[in-house]
Amino acid sequence: MTAQRHDFDAAPFRLEELPWSPRFSLRVRPQNRAALEGALGLTLPARIGERSMTGGTEVLCLGPDEWTVLVPESGRDALVDAGARIYAQTPHSLVEISDREITLRLSGPQALTALTAGCPRDVEALQTGRAARTLFDSATVILWRDGADSFRMDVWRSFLPHVRAILDKVAAELKSGL
Amino acid sequence: MSRYRIPGMGRVDPARTVRFTFDGRSYTGLRGDTVASALLAHGVHLMGRSFKYHRPRGPVTAGSEEPNALIGTSRGPGRFEPNTRATVQELREGLVAESQNKWPSLKFDIGAVNDRAYMLFSAGFYYKTFMWPRSFWDRVYEPFIRAAAGLGKSPTEADPDSYASRNLHTDVLVIGGGAAGLQAALVAAKSGARVVLVDENPEMGGSLLSDPSVRIDGQGAWAWLADRVAQLRAAGVTLMTRTTAIGYYHQNFVGLVERVADHLDRPPQGAPRERMWHVRARQVVLAQGALEKPLVFDGNDRPGVMLAGAAQTYLNRYGVKVGDIAAVVTSHDSAWYAAFDLADAGARVAAIADTRDRVRQDLVDAARRRGIEVLAGHTATATSGRLRVRSVRVNPVRDGKVGPGREIACDVLLICGGWTPSLHLFSHTKGSLAWDADNRTFLPDRTTEACQIAGAGRGLWGYGPVLEDGMRAGLAAAEALGRTGTPAGAGVEGDRPGTGVTQKELPTDRSAGKAKAFVDYQNDVTAKDIRLAVREGMRSIEHVKRYTTNGMATDQGKMSNINGLMIAADALAKEPPQVGLTTFRPPYTPTSFGAFVGYHKGATFELTRRTPIDPWAEAQGAAFEPVSLWRRAWYFPRAGEDMHAAVARECRMTRASAGMFDASTLGKIEVAGPDATEFMNRMYTNPWTKLAPGRCRYGLLLGEDGFIRDDGVIGRLAQDLFHVTTTTGGAARVLNMMEDYLQTEWPDLDVWLTSTTEQWATVAVNGPNARKVLAPLVEGQDLSDEAFPHMSVAQCTVAGFPARLFRISFTGELGFEINVPARHGLALWTAIHAAGQPYDICPYGTETMHVLRAEKGYIIVGQDTDGTVTPQDAGLDWAIGKAKKDFVGKRSLQRPDIVAPNRKQLVGLLTEDGTRLQEGAQIVLDPNQTLPMTMAGHVTSSYDSVALGRPIAMAVIAGGHGRMGETVHIPMPNGTVRATITSTNFYDPAGERLKA
Repeated sequence: MTAQRHDFDAAPFRLEELPWSPRFSLRVRPQNRAALEGALGLTLPARIGERSMTGGTEVLCLGPDEWTVLVPESGRDALVDAGARIYAQTPHSLVEISDREITLRLSGPQALTALTAGCPRDVEALQTGRAARTLFDSATVILWRDGADSFRMDVWRSFLPHVRAILDKVAAELKSGL
Repeated sequence: MSRYRIPGMGRVDPARTVRFTFDGRSYTGLRGDTVASALLAHGVHLMGRSFKYHRPRGPVTAGSEEPNALIGTSRGPGRFEPNTRATVQELREGLVAESQNKWPSLKFDIGAVNDRAYMLFSAGFYYKTFMWPRSFWDRVYEPFIRAAAGLGKSPTEADPDSYASRNLHTDVLVIGGGAAGLQAALVAAKSGARVVLVDENPEMGGSLLSDPSVRIDGQGAWAWLADRVAQLRAAGVTLMTRTTAIGYYHQNFVGLVERVADHLDRPPQGAPRERMWHVRARQVVLAQGALEKPLVFDGNDRPGVMLAGAAQTYLNRYGVKVGDIAAVVTSHDSAWYAAFDLADAGARVAAIADTRDRVRQDLVDAARRRGIEVLAGHTATATSGRLRVRSVRVNPVRDGKVGPGREIACDVLLICGGWTPSLHLFSHTKGSLAWDADNRTFLPDRTTEACQIAGAGRGLWGYGPVLEDGMRAGLAAAEALGRTGTPAGAGVEGDRPGTGVTQKELPTDRSAGKAKAFVDYQNDVTAKDIRLAVREGMRSIEHVKRYTTNGMATDQGKMSNINGLMIAADALAKEPPQVGLTTFRPPYTPTSFGAFVGYHKGATFELTRRTPIDPWAEAQGAAFEPVSLWRRAWYFPRAGEDMHAAVARECRMTRASAGMFDASTLGKIEVAGPDATEFMNRMYTNPWTKLAPGRCRYGLLLGEDGFIRDDGVIGRLAQDLFHVTTTTGGAARVLNMMEDYLQTEWPDLDVWLTSTTEQWATVAVNGPNARKVLAPLVEGQDLSDEAFPHMSVAQCTVAGFPARLFRISFTGELGFEINVPARHGLALWTAIHAAGQPYDICPYGTETMHVLRAEKGYIIVGQDTDGTVTPQDAGLDWAIGKAKKDFVGKRSLQRPDIVAPNRKQLVGLLTEDGTRLQEGAQIVLDPNQTLPMTMAGHVTSSYDSVALGRPIAMAVIAGGHGRMGETVHIPMPNGTVRATITSTNFYDPAGERLKA
């Protein structure tokens, strides 16, 4: 909007590509969720969009039977092993997708504005500490809100150049102050 | 100061002059002017020529509904825009404007001969004039029509500007920042709702900007306005000016276009020219007001004839007197106030002719006080003047009889035929309209959306009622959101109430058949044209519109629709609602392509997916081709090679020694869970139960109709775990189809699907030396044929990376496909490339892949199949698990048409003379049959084959499997070619090379 104040020297938002880190897609029937939580040592939130943090492991509920698990590299093998041990009693699917997405962090006062250039969802209404599957331009992304001005966006690897190119255009536009 | 500018009036800044040119001549205007107001300040009314008759025209409005004053504007190379409305375009320093539709000049235009020949150009003249002779259409009529048609010049250079887009969610979107909209926005905001208020003008206020004499809450209108805007800001309302709501779509989705930079002298670096806003609002308040209608009479289009409300706007908003001597013809009270404002500002108002016999006494008194002659019960029958109106002829009407005419000299003629509620956005939603028989107008009736309508947009008039109604709409919106609003009244003094009557064309004492009484200025449609259309059989307004082109120009009939309907209804002797109202469609005003394109130009024109190996291919100078959203390396030309030579070399080197190929784009799906095998058995035609872990199988996927949908090699990694590959283009579709079945048909199965397409980068290594290239890089798996035979899969390490290694082939050679986590893809590729140097390993692209697979008769889904090919047709019956009790598509394979003998079947073709056939070429069995010939099928794939030393082709031919050895005929550009039907397995039919 034309009323936006702007510091012409600063970038309108900060964009970082976060380093690689293990990531899994976890699927289990809702009735087996509790059993799996115990076996894997994770908290699996029951509501879509909710997140949990146990130790260094962050879990996001993406569907009634679907979670994304971000695990520190040091805990990766233990998670896989624990999954294998419990599989016979508690069938589930634990698929590594560490290389499928690349995560961007957008931060700064105009990060939210930048996201509204591509996300049809109500980004402002996304609460801090939650996340949502949405689109950025024509790419499917998962958008995490870590603070009022801090977001993470998981983008499928091959879509990343397009998403970054759009964000570059948005940055130039915001920098113009109009 | 220019001649017609009145010091002390208007909202323009007299201290800041702005220079611009119009048709090469320099002018000055003031900051805050539009091009139209600045030219009018210099007494320039002539701004364009009409579309069909090339009649001289000037601005008739002061807003976005302007039909006449369309100009070309420019800001340097590539920044030319035709058909800009001079009444909307704000003045900026150095603006270059030019008139349109004239040659050689605006004042002397050759095309104006059309005006003399107007009898030839009556309604439907296209259909009548250009009917015969038939042969003239292509060579004479169409080129002539195309050359003559169109308004303005299309830009020829690429547009260097950038365009932006945004998504916006809000509780309440108020469209229109006039009296009603301001009130609605404030009440809604004070209830705690998020509110966005938009207006197409550079500032909020709507008609208040043109009515400064009205007093609200004890303040002048403009002071009240400034105060209200400040209150809105304080209440957190997002105010967007220069922003047009162009379309109102389902579920309160509204498109806005914001003009960001066109008004700026020098837009800052990186500023977009326009920005499209996609708004999703819980409540929408439509407060768009009403549009003034012209009166229809002979000569109502000369420069200097303009709507009374427009003259009032030019005077009060821009401080511009539109003429020295005004005459007024009206059927509504509002024009009287315009006349008073002009008279009070020092113009002479010669007379007000009102079509009504009785006019409010206070208006008559106020006119007489100002020395204005009042002519009640009058009609207008003609005007004079060529490039500017010089007089109007008015006649009394008594008992339906038109009396003798009288000329009134004037240099500006103000007309007003009443006001039409702006129903456009409401109509976009398919909200129903109601005919108000008393006021003879359409009003919004039932809405299909969460929408309130306020003010003049629903037929109200006068600031008191409109402000009240805006407040009501704001309260209603708040209430619908579960909030409680507080009434915010506004007391009006010196209000300007008004009523009027709706007219058809005005009565005349002259021949109505010769009157140039314009209904649609932009498309030059006259009242006579509409009556002619009715006489020639048009009964619905939709037909009248198309026959006459009334309302079909870029203003979409904002001024002409209702007048046209009144005339058509009169001609049909029906009530207007029985004749109908044409449909309003988005966009509300003309919208640039750029606004729709947004960021999608240049490098971001379309999303392009790239593999991890793409940078290497680019550095090698590969040619690329788009495959679904991906760009893939097509071939790798060496110095001096064209595509043909490069592909021939890649094929030769791969079959001779080794080739490598980036297969990362293949779709990959992890199918995991205790019921994975059962799921696979149900989805794919093949049997999976007996496939041992560590083995792969070619999988064929059908639709419910039995036709081939997708294929790919599927590896069984463990009892409960399959690595499924799909075609590149099919990845998302196949996963969706699988999920659909899983969630809706088989929710009982314990199996989960995960897309891993982008988790893995995939490199295929093929050729007799493939094993020798790869073996030194592989740890944890013996690559020998005994330990790792064709169609094996293993998890091991390749080049130090954890890998899923497949022994499969899409070339007919010994082949491997290595999947590693995608971040290692490029490193794997370079490691294999280095390891392959002793064997002259050849990176190859998709074209070579296509040739090599065609030499083996391997199909490509979507190229050799087209959604009507069954497994039997494709020669893939072997891939069907005959003992399985069910799979998707199984029952359809028994349908009579599927088992019929003469279906088109996939075969090979070898031409007798060595011609390479065109893909898509049609095939006939007997070239001597009479026309039209029976097509037996068509060519699906065709390549030059190095391995075979001749071109090869695949084709679908009716009953083809039973026609081996027969000759068919294919018409090609240089004559009909003879070809022999063969097997599709052209190369190494015994498959010895796979087993190496």
